[in-house]
Amino acid sequence: MRGARVTIAGNADEFKQSFREEAREILVDLESALLELNENRGDQELVGRVFRALHTIKGSGSMFGFEDLATFTHNLENAFDEVRNGRLQVGSELIDLTLSALDQIRAMLEEREGAAEGEACAEILAKVRKLTGVAEHRPAASKVPKTLAASVGGRARQWIIHFAPGPDLLLNGANPLLLFAELRELGGLSVKASMEMIPPLAELDPERCYVSWEMVLATTAGREAIRDVFIFVEDSCQLAIEPASGSEVEDGQSRDAVARGLEESRAPSGGRRTYDKPDNASSIRVPAAKLDQFVDLVGELVTTQARLAELSARRDDPEIAEVSEEIERLTSALRENSMNIRMLPIRGTFEKFRRLVHDLARDLGKDVELTMDGADTELDKTVIDQLGDPLMHLIRNSMDHGVESRELRLERGKRATATIHLSARHSGASVLIAVSDDGGGIDADAVRNRAIERGLVPCDAQLTETETFALLFQPGFSTAKQVTDVSGRGVGMDVVRQRVESLRGTIDVASKPGSGTSVTLRLPLTLAIIDGLLVSVADACFVLPLASTLECIELTSADIERANGKHVANVRGAIVPYIRLREHFNTNSMRPDLEQIMVVETGEGPFGFVVDQVLGDCQTVIKSLGRVYRHVQAVSGATILGDGRVALILDPERLVQDALRSQTLGARTPGAPPGSRSGLARVRDTKFRAE
Amino acid sequence: MGISIKESDVGNLLALEGTIDIGCAAELKAVLLRALGSGGEIRVMLGEVAYMDVTAAQLLWAAELQARRSGVVFQISGPLPELVSTLLTETGFPSLAASLSVE
Repeated sequence: MRGARVTIAGNADEFKQSFREEAREILVDLESALLELNENRGDQELVGRVFRALHTIKGSGSMFGFEDLATFTHNLENAFDEVRNGRLQVGSELIDLTLSALDQIRAMLEEREGAAEGEACAEILAKVRKLTGVAEHRPAASKVPKTLAASVGGRARQWIIHFAPGPDLLLNGANPLLLFAELRELGGLSVKASMEMIPPLAELDPERCYVSWEMVLATTAGREAIRDVFIFVEDSCQLAIEPASGSEVEDGQSRDAVARGLEESRAPSGGRRTYDKPDNASSIRVPAAKLDQFVDLVGELVTTQARLAELSARRDDPEIAEVSEEIERLTSALRENSMNIRMLPIRGTFEKFRRLVHDLARDLGKDVELTMDGADTELDKTVIDQLGDPLMHLIRNSMDHGVESRELRLERGKRATATIHLSARHSGASVLIAVSDDGGGIDADAVRNRAIERGLVPCDAQLTETETFALLFQPGFSTAKQVTDVSGRGVGMDVVRQRVESLRGTIDVASKPGSGTSVTLRLPLTLAIIDGLLVSVADACFVLPLASTLECIELTSADIERANGKHVANVRGAIVPYIRLREHFNTNSMRPDLEQIMVVETGEGPFGFVVDQVLGDCQTVIKSLGRVYRHVQAVSGATILGDGRVALILDPERLVQDALRSQTLGARTPGAPPGSRSGLARVRDTKFRAE
Repeated sequence: MGISIKESDVGNLLALEGTIDIGCAAELKAVLLRALGSGGEIRVMLGEVAYMDVTAAQLLWAAELQARRSGVVFQISGPLPELVSTLLTETGFPSLAASLSVE
């Protein structure tokens, strides 16, 4: 007799995906630990961290059906066990092999075809075995338990483990047997199943797990190592791991003694105990897509709230006004909270580059160390997600072109080991992320000559240094004499420019010959919702970011006369240049007698934007203008106002750049009288901004 | 997995083989309920079982308990494969292995 099989693919896939996500995080930590270990080879704590990460990936991989991954990782785990036990020294070969193995594990996690059987895999394993002198070992799911003497090899401690899986444990593809097998690898284990919760047969759901377990484990491993065994089921189970009182176990103590310990530790009532897991659940894992949806909904709420506020203002009803104000307060708090949830430290992105620097240094034969500060600086997840490629290209460029060879550095009186420094810090509504090196700096003459060769600038062009550096971001521009595996095709910097532009950011380059180069990306903190100031120019409304707005002052006809028609204002003795938006946007309507200047902090210093009226502050949900308007630089998006009208969100940095470029090229500012220059005063030298 | 059931004068003979896991748990439950419903003695043969998971252990436990309460004989016939015995022991079901007294 054969019956229909129950399919569990859906849940199993979900669980596998959860394993993949957690394993990827473990791999990031593992990679970081390996690179740190490379620099501190005697650090036993780092060795332990590497061992535990490998152990966790192996055990959990096996449980979720990644058998090849588990077997592969097990061999690496053995190698680090040898290191732990002092039988193997940490060396470059072991570090590089393990790093290569991590790439293979990543491929196996993605279940890329042939990842497990590939030559690279076999080669790594062969090298690991040669290094350790340990034959290939496949982890067994149900081997006979080790004796304590064999497994713990010293003074061990007894741990009482209560494990009550959630009812869907089996449906989710997890197998307690494999958990127990993994625990047995930590030491002597005695297991007792509790059957009290199994209902009568007729009421029993055959796919649910009704059994809970009490175990005694004698091991030298700590609580966290034991907890790691349960890492992928911990969220759906009750788990308590407590040391047994007076629990040190002598060498050679038999497994029976552990079993006795279990009998003694069992609760007299036989019922379930109080478990510690719920108290420990201080964070939860949420898919990024759900978070994006949540923020989108908050954005819609903000827009709707603006409509309510508009409606309330039109109706002279104190009750509606009160509710509207309360909704506004709550919406504002909700908006702030939702944005905070999306804010992540940039550390994770920075840490990824340790591996890049390590590998490139090896490939290029250079000594390079990566340092960082401000890694805890937070910015929007969407921005962080987009940062990987630009930073990678900048680092590759620095290492290939910026950093000199060891010999040349010594010749120049520099430290043999070069430094690539990553830094991040907040600056108003922006975050500044810099990639700096202490290499040879940019050869401005070489850049200029190459640009002339390529016809990008005329032979007699008088370029400032910053204008020269701007050429580096032109598509296909490279001063490299030869194309290498690392760079030289002139693609990387173009990618940086495009990506930063798409994030509404800017790039500053500073370089000093012989001393090094620093490329700073200025990026907005968030791409979703901002606090803005609503202003009007003729019939149109615009939004200026509130965070960069310094103050608002009046501009009278007398002020204009005193400045002799120049677009500058005297703000408490300081000369502040301004852009009249009415002219900039070529608006054909009468200028009011009294205008307002919004003074905004830009990369060029304080700059004014002359508007007709300031309507007030507003929470602004940024809507993309779409691909059609992607070349409109001075507008970073649009927002829907409470009355249904659309207001463009202005990018002050871009507006200033536009105006300065117009002035540099001698172009007439749109809307200005024929024959006149823009009249825009340039109050100080500017740094280069890649456009 | 394969489950076959044979009726005899004294009751039912259930022969399980291969992998007995969550994929056939519903089927095993139905077979056990039917056997218990018939009122006769139940003999379960596990000699050809290669692997057994927690769902199978739960079902056999519940069936054995119900049979005992109903005064029905519930027995494992033939040898219990060493691997199955080890599995039951390692997952903390030694008493289940013992209670399924092998004839």
